[in-house]
Amino acid sequence: MITREDVENIALLSKLFVPEDEMDNLTQSMQEIVSFADTINNADVEGVEFDNINNLSNALREDVVKPSMPKEEILKNAPEQAEDHFLVRKHS
Amino acid sequence: MKYELVAGFETHIELGTDTKIFCSCSTEFGGEPNSHCCPVCIGLPGTLPKLNKKVVEYGIMAGLATNCEIANVSKMDRKNYCYPDLSKAYQISQLYAPLCNRGYVELSNGRKIRIHHIHIEEDAGKLIHNHGDTYVDYNRGGVPLIEIVSEPDIRSIDEAREYVEKLQQIMRYIGISDCRMQEGSMRCDVNISVRPQGSDKLGTRTEIKNMNSITFITKAMEYEFERQVDLIENGEKVVQETLRYDDATNTTSSMRSKEDAHDYRYFRDPDLVTIKVTDEEIEEIRAKLPELPYIKKQRYVDELGVPESDAGLLTKYRNISEYFDKAIDGLKKPKTVSNFIIGQIFRVLQTEEDKEAFDIKTTPQQLNQLCKLLEDGKIQNNLAKSTLDKMLETGKDCTEYISEEDMAGLDDSFVDELCKQAIEANPKAVQQYKEGKEKAIMACMGFVMKNSKGKANAQEVLEKIKSMIS
Repeated sequence: MITREDVENIALLSKLFVPEDEMDNLTQSMQEIVSFADTINNADVEGVEFDNINNLSNALREDVVKPSMPKEEILKNAPEQAEDHFLVRKHS
Repeated sequence: MKYELVAGFETHIELGTDTKIFCSCSTEFGGEPNSHCCPVCIGLPGTLPKLNKKVVEYGIMAGLATNCEIANVSKMDRKNYCYPDLSKAYQISQLYAPLCNRGYVELSNGRKIRIHHIHIEEDAGKLIHNHGDTYVDYNRGGVPLIEIVSEPDIRSIDEAREYVEKLQQIMRYIGISDCRMQEGSMRCDVNISVRPQGSDKLGTRTEIKNMNSITFITKAMEYEFERQVDLIENGEKVVQETLRYDDATNTTSSMRSKEDAHDYRYFRDPDLVTIKVTDEEIEEIRAKLPELPYIKKQRYVDELGVPESDAGLLTKYRNISEYFDKAIDGLKKPKTVSNFIIGQIFRVLQTEEDKEAFDIKTTPQQLNQLCKLLEDGKIQNNLAKSTLDKMLETGKDCTEYISEEDMAGLDDSFVDELCKQAIEANPKAVQQYKEGKEKAIMACMGFVMKNSKGKANAQEVLEKIKSMIS
C-alpha cells in the first residue's frame, strides 16, 4: 500500500518538489502502478526455469581498451555544455 | 578524565586496470574532459554493463593480502542517490554480498585492525564547481575501486597513520594500484568517536569524508578528537553527522543538512549476474601473489641478518626489495648489499618518489659482482665504495674501474715492509702512541693505506703496526 508519506519520501530522495494539491492524485497513481506490477505474481510459473541474474554467473570481459566515443557525441545530448564539460546550472 | 580515541576507516583505492569496471573505456588519468566515455559509463538508457575480469582478480588479491575470506558467490547492488557526479543516479557497488570478508592488517605493535569487508564498485565523475555552476567530467566515472572497510579498531593517531601506510604499501606491492593519495587514487573516510579510557562502549561517531593525504587525516583526527572531548566535558552531546575537513583552517564542518535523508535504497543490480569464484581459482591467485612486505621484512631480519630498521627501508617499496633480492644472489653477507643501498644508492635517490621508482644505472647483477670482490677480499671497502659511486654515475661494470693490479691483492711481506717504513717515518706518532695516545697510531695507518693505494686491509694493518711497536 502506497501512502502519502511514501510519496513525500520518494520525492525528497529524488529531489522533486510535489505541489500539495497533486499529492493525493500522485499517491493514487503510484498505487495503481504498483498494483499493475503485482499482477505478475499471479502468473503460473510452476515448473518453469528462468535465466536470471541469480542462476547465471560470470559474464566477464577481458581488460582490453576499446576506443571511447568522440567527446562531441558524448556531449551531444547534454542540455547545456561548456568547455567540454556537462554543465549543471545552480538552481534554488 | 582521560579519553580514548576509537576510529574505523573506509579506504577507497582505484584499481590499476587498463579499462573501466563495466565498459572498455580507458582508465588513464588526465586526458581531455569526457574523452574516455561511452554510452555505458555515462549511463545512457538501454546500455548494459559487463564486469571487467581483472577487477575481480585484483579485488581477490587485495582480500588475500589482507587476510580476508574470499566469497565464492558475490553480487553487485545499486546504491541510489541524486548528484551530478553520477549520471545514472545510482552507483553500482556491493552491499549484501561483497567479494571479501573478515580480514585484518597487523600493526607493528602487534594489534590487528580487523577488516569488515572489501567490496568492488565504480568511481563517480569529477565535478568542478564554479560560481554555483557545476562542470562535470565523466572520465573518472566507472573507474574501478575497491573499498576497504575496517572495524572501529584504531585507538590512536599513530595507529591510524600506520594502518593507512600499510594498506598503501601492501596494495602497491601486489601491484593493483599506485595508491597516489594526491592524485586521488587512494582516499579515506574516517569514522571517529571518543570514550572514557577503560570503557568498552562505543560513543556517538562522526564521519570525516574524503581525505587524500596522510597529514590531513592525522590533523583532522586530532582536531575531531579534541572537539568531541570538549563537547562531552561541557556536558553536550556529539551529533552523528558527516564532516568535511578544511586543511586551510584545520577544522571540520558539517557536510549534509538534516533534510538530506540518508536512504540509498540499495537493491540487487538486475543488469549484472552473480560473480562466482571457485576455491581453485582463489588458490591460483594466491600462488601468484608476491611475497608481502611485512613477511619479506621479517625474512630479511631472521634469515639474512639485516638490522630491522634497514629491513624496513629495503621493503618500503617493491622495486627496492626486488633489486636487493637479485643483488644478494650467492653472497655470504647480504648485509653488504643492504649497506650499499641504504648508504650510497639512497644518496642519489633523494625523494620518496625516486626511491619508489628506484631507477638507477647500476643493475643488481653489477652490484652483486662488486660485492663478491669485496667478500672474497680482492678489494677493500674504501675502493668498493668509490667504485660504486662511479658505477652509479655511468652504469658501467666495476671492472671498468678496478684494475687487475687492484684485485691481485697485496703480498704479505710487502705490507710488512710498508708498516716498517711507516713506523720509521713517524717517530713522533709512535712515541705518542707508546705514551698512551691511542689515536696517534693513525698517522702510521694513513702512511700504509696511502702507499698501498688503499688496497691494504685496514684492520690487518692496524694489528701489524701495533705488534711491531710493542
